[in-house]
Amino acid sequence: MPIVEKSLVEVDRNDSVKLDGIDVSGDWSAFLRSRVVADLDPCILDWVKDQPLGSTITRCWQCGTCTASCCLHTDYGMAEFNPRYFLYLAKIGYATELRRYTNTIWRCLSCNKCVERCPKGVKVEEVVHAIGRYLRVTGAAPESPADRFDRAFTENLLDRGILDEVALFRTYERLEGRRTPLREMLRMGVRLFWSGRLRTGPFANRTRGWNRMREVLRARLAEDERRALSTASPVRAGAGGTR
Amino acid sequence: MNPILVLGGGPAGLSAAAELGTLGAPTLLVEREKFLGGNPERWRYSLLVPDLKPTAEVLGGLLRRVGEDPRIERRLSTVITKVEPASKGFRVTLQTAGAEEQRDVSAVVVATGFEHFDPHRKLEYGYGRYPDVIDFKDLEGMITDDRILRPSDGKPPRRIAWILCVGSRDVQVGNPWCCRLGCAVSIKQAVEVRKRHPEIEAYVYYIDIRTYGLWEDLYWKAMEEYGVKFIRGRVGHVTLAEGGSRLLAAGEDTLLSRPTEVPFDMIVLASGMEPGRGTTEAARLFGLKVGPEGFLAPEVSDLNPIDSGVPGVFYAGAATGPKAIVDSVTEGMGAALRAYQYARD
Repeated sequence: MPIVEKSLVEVDRNDSVKLDGIDVSGDWSAFLRSRVVADLDPCILDWVKDQPLGSTITRCWQCGTCTASCCLHTDYGMAEFNPRYFLYLAKIGYATELRRYTNTIWRCLSCNKCVERCPKGVKVEEVVHAIGRYLRVTGAAPESPADRFDRAFTENLLDRGILDEVALFRTYERLEGRRTPLREMLRMGVRLFWSGRLRTGPFANRTRGWNRMREVLRARLAEDERRALSTASPVRAGAGGTR
Repeated sequence: MNPILVLGGGPAGLSAAAELGTLGAPTLLVEREKFLGGNPERWRYSLLVPDLKPTAEVLGGLLRRVGEDPRIERRLSTVITKVEPASKGFRVTLQTAGAEEQRDVSAVVVATGFEHFDPHRKLEYGYGRYPDVIDFKDLEGMITDDRILRPSDGKPPRRIAWILCVGSRDVQVGNPWCCRLGCAVSIKQAVEVRKRHPEIEAYVYYIDIRTYGLWEDLYWKAMEEYGVKFIRGRVGHVTLAEGGSRLLAAGEDTLLSRPTEVPFDMIVLASGMEPGRGTTEAARLFGLKVGPEGFLAPEVSDLNPIDSGVPGVFYAGAATGPKAIVDSVTEGMGAALRAYQYARD
């Protein structure tokens, strides 16, 4: 971090400070953070494009159609959620800047308007999730509620090959550490009952021949997980950031 | 010698026919439309890049040469319906207004050209729904007539936007290629509009600017001399603004990293180039190789872009891919020479 004389930055500065008769007019005390991007980490792109969700990132040419179509960015007004920019940062490997969006990137509503419109066929919604996952796998971001729900959902589905909504609800409640008031649970229970989805526990629906399918899927997921962890470079302090 | 068949009366076909006439070869020029001149004539292009000369001046000389040469037989409103191999060349069936006629030809120049992308297919841009969203070939006609007015209310526009790459470089409509001309033509139009009406503001929305080669000059001049403004970002969709009296182009300004929704009085879509109807037809009739994009594929694309691979069939112009008039005319000359060599041997 360079030390820059204030007089060089603020040309018309003319105040003066004297301590014990010595002139110490602040000329030595200004610390300026350099704005030069000096270190880019190519591993981020390698990692993202290696993921099943992230493989289309290399097609992006930064036209901005995704961001222009993004309901979070335009309609909801969340200016910092800019999918085009996330893809750019991941492509060039600007890790410090990417880390500024750890609490933003998971908020995608998966409306898929970006995927619908992208002229290059980038699966933007998927790639954004892959980038978010990179930040978590490397420890730069905490797991988000959306991740926890994804986890509960996948586990639930893997169990019997068909969704058990009651169990999913209870698992997710536990993961989030919150309780739903009894009245609300009853209301939901009635609606589930009428739609025929209240079958849970021993009465839950099953998919025939699911045991073998589950084995295959679990093996595949474990393999994906292993690959994701082994190729992710931990976000180095200062790497991919400013000098 | 049986005549040499030239398919298509656009710049490439006219050029081939004129050169064949000069070589002294009997030539049969077949054109689907009622007129010669191809897309420039059909859509009444105003000024042509790179020298910004009027279309009539550029193509006039060619049309005169083809019109006055007694060795060139011109068949308008005519299509080919059948092709059979002959001992030398082909026996083709011409159809004019229902009447069929068989002719023997010794060689064929396929100059069937391109069609403009139909912007109706890009729903988000509202072409056909909002009258003030126009196509850049519509604007060519307006510039030719020197009447640049809003189609909705006939008033002069205060601010016009051009959207580049409509139906080009877009896998959503199945056209991943670059149309090559959209940048240059749109910028030329913006310059033309600013020259005539300096009070109209001109904005160009772009992904990349591809005024390739020496045409870079056009891009610089547009900014330096005519104050055309460039916004880097592709427009996502067009809607109505100000109670329906203006248009709103919603996009991301990628240099600002912010959404932009700017009102315009007119929006011009730079719709790209697709293989022409005649091009697809010719491929079927003569058994020609077609590339993944639907354009005709030469046998050797680098050293000989003119020979088709089918003996006696030669290519010229935009049938093999998006091309400027100057390139089409050059290829017409080359194809004339190759066809003449084949027919003479």
